[in-house]
Amino acid sequence: MLAVAHLNVWYGVTEILRDVSFDVPDGRIVALLGGNGSGKTTILNTLTGLVKPRAGSVLLAGEECAGLRADQIVRKGMVQVPQGREVFQSMSVVENLEMGAATRRDRAELRAGIEDMMGLFPTLARKSRQRAGSLSGGEQQMLAIARALMARPRCLLMDEPSAGLSPVVVDTMIDAILALHRRGLTILLVEQNVGVAAAAADSAHVLQNGEIAFSGPAASLLDNPEVLRSYLGR
Amino acid sequence: MLGYLVLSGITTGALYALVALGVVIVFKATGTVNFAHGDLFMIGGFLAFTFHVLMGLPYLVALALAVAAGFGIGILTDRIAFRPLMRANLVSLVLATVGFSFILKGIARSVWGGKADLFAFPPLISPDPIFLGPLIIIPQQLVAIGGAALVMGAFAAFFRLTRIGKMMQATADNPKAATLVGIRTDRVYMYAFGVGAAVAASAAVLMAPLTLLYPDIGFVLFIKGFAAAVLGGLSSLPGAVVGGLVVGVVEALAGGYINSSFLEVSAFVVIMVVLVLRPTGLFGATAVRRV
Repeated sequence: MLAVAHLNVWYGVTEILRDVSFDVPDGRIVALLGGNGSGKTTILNTLTGLVKPRAGSVLLAGEECAGLRADQIVRKGMVQVPQGREVFQSMSVVENLEMGAATRRDRAELRAGIEDMMGLFPTLARKSRQRAGSLSGGEQQMLAIARALMARPRCLLMDEPSAGLSPVVVDTMIDAILALHRRGLTILLVEQNVGVAAAAADSAHVLQNGEIAFSGPAASLLDNPEVLRSYLGR
Repeated sequence: MLGYLVLSGITTGALYALVALGVVIVFKATGTVNFAHGDLFMIGGFLAFTFHVLMGLPYLVALALAVAAGFGIGILTDRIAFRPLMRANLVSLVLATVGFSFILKGIARSVWGGKADLFAFPPLISPDPIFLGPLIIIPQQLVAIGGAALVMGAFAAFFRLTRIGKMMQATADNPKAATLVGIRTDRVYMYAFGVGAAVAASAAVLMAPLTLLYPDIGFVLFIKGFAAAVLGGLSSLPGAVVGGLVVGVVEALAGGYINSSFLEVSAFVVIMVVLVLRPTGLFGATAVRRV
């Protein structure tokens, strides 16, 4: 579904990503792990069109996405769930979902999409008219996911969905990710939390200093002392 | 006396509120104060003058045309003074809008200047005052208040009900998240400039029959509208309306009871007091944004 090949990104004179290549097969969850400054966020920003790569390609179902505008990439079916509960705080839950479908015009489809999300996230259904800023951290994260799903993505990019959440809420989040997986969504899960990646993903790549330093099955991450120590600082 | 002053204060205040709404919508969307906003008001007024007085078109047609042209010139402001500098620092952006305001003033002086110092805009309805007990009402005042209320209502509906209005709200709330859901934020900024200028033009058409038009009227109006916007918290639309009314009424009362020379400065005294007591303005956010 998603094939990233030989991606090179520079900020001014600094090379941030060096020859990064990885695939996210159709219907799979692939985790991208790494500490602060490893280049995770730059990869996401490049995939979503916020940053233009100097070289390399990003193919989504065979179509080139590298260098396109953010809205064009959303239309092609790759949508990011941003980190840090970046919902529209001053708008209601329903309005947030409407904005998630900003690239779609069919009103019947919009209503169906909102109903679908209310079914998938019953907590949001109970608070549909509430301002997003008044929701709890976990609920805002759910809303950010639901908002991204409103664009009907083929590939979902999740930026640290567990960040800043309590352990109980993190478990709910993992369940939600697995539920999306069962719906057939292809997911790139960017995480710092190895536990979350191991629990949800099929395979994993570890980034260090802008390069992929380790690739393997996600379940093997927790058993690999070298990965834990060298790349993730455990 | 009091009744008359309050009524005339509300009339000018309602128009200041419209100017303030334009300042706020651009500020909310782009984080920049458009210093050319007053001159967009002035151009709107002169266009209406051209359509109505010089070309003889009906008042409502002139209003519609001036508002449409205002929208277009607002979009031009975005193209000329904002978009090329979007990634520049705030000072450059503000200076660009100041520069654009001088261009608009220059155009107005060369097109409409020289013919007369002040241009009279005929009133829409009978200029004879209505006596209501001790209250003297000039009918055009009611037209201005009613018109301003209609424009404000349309403006609120635009934000709450239309797709582009909601996209503007989303972009003002969180520009990065707006980009990630596929909203073209550059277009949102463009519409913010357009809508702001269209509202300013409508204020000019409502105000012109009450005052006189001259190419330098823009800056005076901008200062009043900006004061109203700051008073309301700079990013609050209801705040802009309340701020406009407060500035208008205080100005009328100060001019009537203290001295007419206080008319111009009274608004600033109110702002200074409010900003000392409540720096975020009347409706500004009090909570520090969590990061």
